[in-house]
Amino acid sequence: MLRPVSLVPALALALALPARAADVPIGHLADQSGATSDVGVPYAQGVADALAWINRKGGVGGQKLAVESVDYGYQVPRAVAQYKKWTSGRDKVAAIQGWGTADTEALSAFVAKDEVPYISGSYAAQVSDPTGASGKAKAAPYNFFYGPTYSDALRAMLLWAAEDWKAKGKPGKPKYVHMGGNHPYPNSPKEAGEAMARDLGFEVLPAIVFALAPGDYTAQCLTAKNAGANYAYLGNTGGSNISLLKSCKAAGADIQFMGNVWGMDENAAKAAGEAADGVVFPVRTAAVTGGSAPGLKTIAEISKESDPNGTVYRPVHYLSGVCAALYMVEAIGWAKDNGGIAGPNVRKGFYQKKNWVPAGMEGVCVPSTWSENDHRGMMTVSIYRARVSGPTEGAIADLMKAGTVKLEPVKTVELPRKPDWFGW
Amino acid sequence: MATQSLIPAGDFRASYAADTTIFPTAGSRYAVLAGIALLACAPLVLDRYWLSLLIQIGYFAVAALGLNILVGFTGQISIGHAAFFGFGAFASAWLSNTFSVPVFFAIPLAGVLTTAVGLVFGLPAARLKGLYLAIATLAAQYILQDFFARANWFTGGVAGTPAEAFSILGFAFDTDQRYFYVVLAYLVLTFVLATNLMRSRDGRALVAVRDHYLSAEMMGINLTRYRTLSFGLSAFFAGVGGGLYAHYLQFVSVEGFGILLSIQFLGMIIIGGLGSIMGTLMGTAFMVLVPEAMGWLTDAVKGSAVDRALALKDNLSFLREMAIGLVIVLFLIFEPDGLAHRWRQIKAYWKLYPFSH
Repeated sequence: MLRPVSLVPALALALALPARAADVPIGHLADQSGATSDVGVPYAQGVADALAWINRKGGVGGQKLAVESVDYGYQVPRAVAQYKKWTSGRDKVAAIQGWGTADTEALSAFVAKDEVPYISGSYAAQVSDPTGASGKAKAAPYNFFYGPTYSDALRAMLLWAAEDWKAKGKPGKPKYVHMGGNHPYPNSPKEAGEAMARDLGFEVLPAIVFALAPGDYTAQCLTAKNAGANYAYLGNTGGSNISLLKSCKAAGADIQFMGNVWGMDENAAKAAGEAADGVVFPVRTAAVTGGSAPGLKTIAEISKESDPNGTVYRPVHYLSGVCAALYMVEAIGWAKDNGGIAGPNVRKGFYQKKNWVPAGMEGVCVPSTWSENDHRGMMTVSIYRARVSGPTEGAIADLMKAGTVKLEPVKTVELPRKPDWFGW
Repeated sequence: MATQSLIPAGDFRASYAADTTIFPTAGSRYAVLAGIALLACAPLVLDRYWLSLLIQIGYFAVAALGLNILVGFTGQISIGHAAFFGFGAFASAWLSNTFSVPVFFAIPLAGVLTTAVGLVFGLPAARLKGLYLAIATLAAQYILQDFFARANWFTGGVAGTPAEAFSILGFAFDTDQRYFYVVLAYLVLTFVLATNLMRSRDGRALVAVRDHYLSAEMMGINLTRYRTLSFGLSAFFAGVGGGLYAHYLQFVSVEGFGILLSIQFLGMIIIGGLGSIMGTLMGTAFMVLVPEAMGWLTDAVKGSAVDRALALKDNLSFLREMAIGLVIVLFLIFEPDGLAHRWRQIKAYWKLYPFSH
């Protein structure tokens, strides 16, 4: 058939084809320029490095992964258009590494129809229900993610907050407020968090909206301060949270902030300086850079894919990106040995083991379990606190080494796999 | 017999019909028909990637045509066209989701709804001109975008809304191969519609308003009516384009309709040629294909000797974005009258060859 592709790339392709014929096409959707690029860049780097490392070691059972990374600028229409390209008949992708909540939800019906496993960077509880049995969300049989759902992470932090309030011996009801952009991602755990907060005896204040991009959020801080908020959930990513924390510090608001998994990291703590001191947030991995877990050695090796000198500091999102990619690789590996690399088989690959950790990632990736009826990979939520004890000029690696910026573990909450928490 | 298909030297037109004909020669008519027939074969030979580009050119061209009627033919300005495009997309999805209106009818109905909205936002156009009007349309952009984000009943709020696939009597046009024909049909229909409109009394009135509004008014043209009408017409095409877009992606999100898209629409008609129907299609194709072509180029350069020598690495993708901007700027400097003008020059060259002066 005639395919009028422009000549140069066509020739290049033709030359490369014989060697690439057996490659497994993988789509990789990343936000490197949009509203969540502050955390999107390290996560995408983790994914890309892990897949490149797999290829360097010989691929999946001798087959290389042909990864196409695309920056979609955190815009749903661009993600949908890119998805259509990837699922064209000729070289349909075997799986996709995705990113944001809005696009993951938008694509959920498509990936189910086309049977393409979609491992996203969004942990919205809405896409954790593969059958729709919860009645709270539509069936999302091909959606996977590595981490606790946003809702479960918030539930765990609220459990901690209730204890914290008691431990501090303060009188009366603590006040809880949900803060974040008016966007599916910050909105995703809003209802679950507010319901849980009410159950735990919090007074729930009206939610406060602040944009996903960095800006001046003094007005929002003063609103929260005047309402007397004690605990606030930050639904946005690092960049805009930094702005908010700084504004709140300047406004003198005494609020215990709780970031979500994307809401705080080493770089954000450095950028926010003292304003970030004391913010608690969930970490998806069992260890952070600088720890002693055996899997961190593998991370150091993977990191060399994009940093041969081994000097770049890898934040928590990088580690999570590696885990997400390696779970997918093992599922593809199982599919290859059991009937071939096709979407439905790769999906089955995720269900083969219980509480599993990808090879070489012991102590880093939290043991996860996916089943045909429940895509909540983990119910374990490790809560950390960002500590900043001095001026934060200089490289992040030095600051972490000197202890100026620290991530200290606060509590690990093991949530029950409650059916009524499922899907929202 | 060859003279049958060429315009004879000298002007022999003796009737208004001959003066306003769309195709001055039989040859040009056959060429267009052959072009459409050729396009109709595209799904048989092109893969999904190329089809998706053609479909994209199609729905954007329908919407850009509306903007060209407003800016190119009437001389009004609008920097809120993306909002009307978005309104059409949401309206079409809303009609088919909420009232179970078949998508076949939902798309033109969305055009009608968008016309109503366009007329409302066009009212200031009756009094405002130039920069003042530009800012008024900017307001339309913001008001509508905010409306999209808040009106859960209409748009699904920030989470967006699914849109059903286009279907006729149960036959779903849900693949690129099939949807291409839907877009092609709409493209031909809207372009014929716009061409005929411009030949009509109302169309000429619009041009008169653009060329000299004072003279037009003295000739008895109701300026208020035609300026508002132009907004309504422009919104209609935007709405239809939006509807086509919605049922192609099968998902509509508020994020797609920002000011950037409005500027892109302006880019399409300026590059294609203001006040040219054919130019609209050329400009749209240009704006859709340039980023892709830059993408192919950067892919080809990636890892090559040039890349290594300049140590571009990750900066290549940024280079691509910058190159798109550069191409557009160069275009505006060296071809300010648009692609349609260049096309006319090419035709003139062959007509006059070898005596070009």
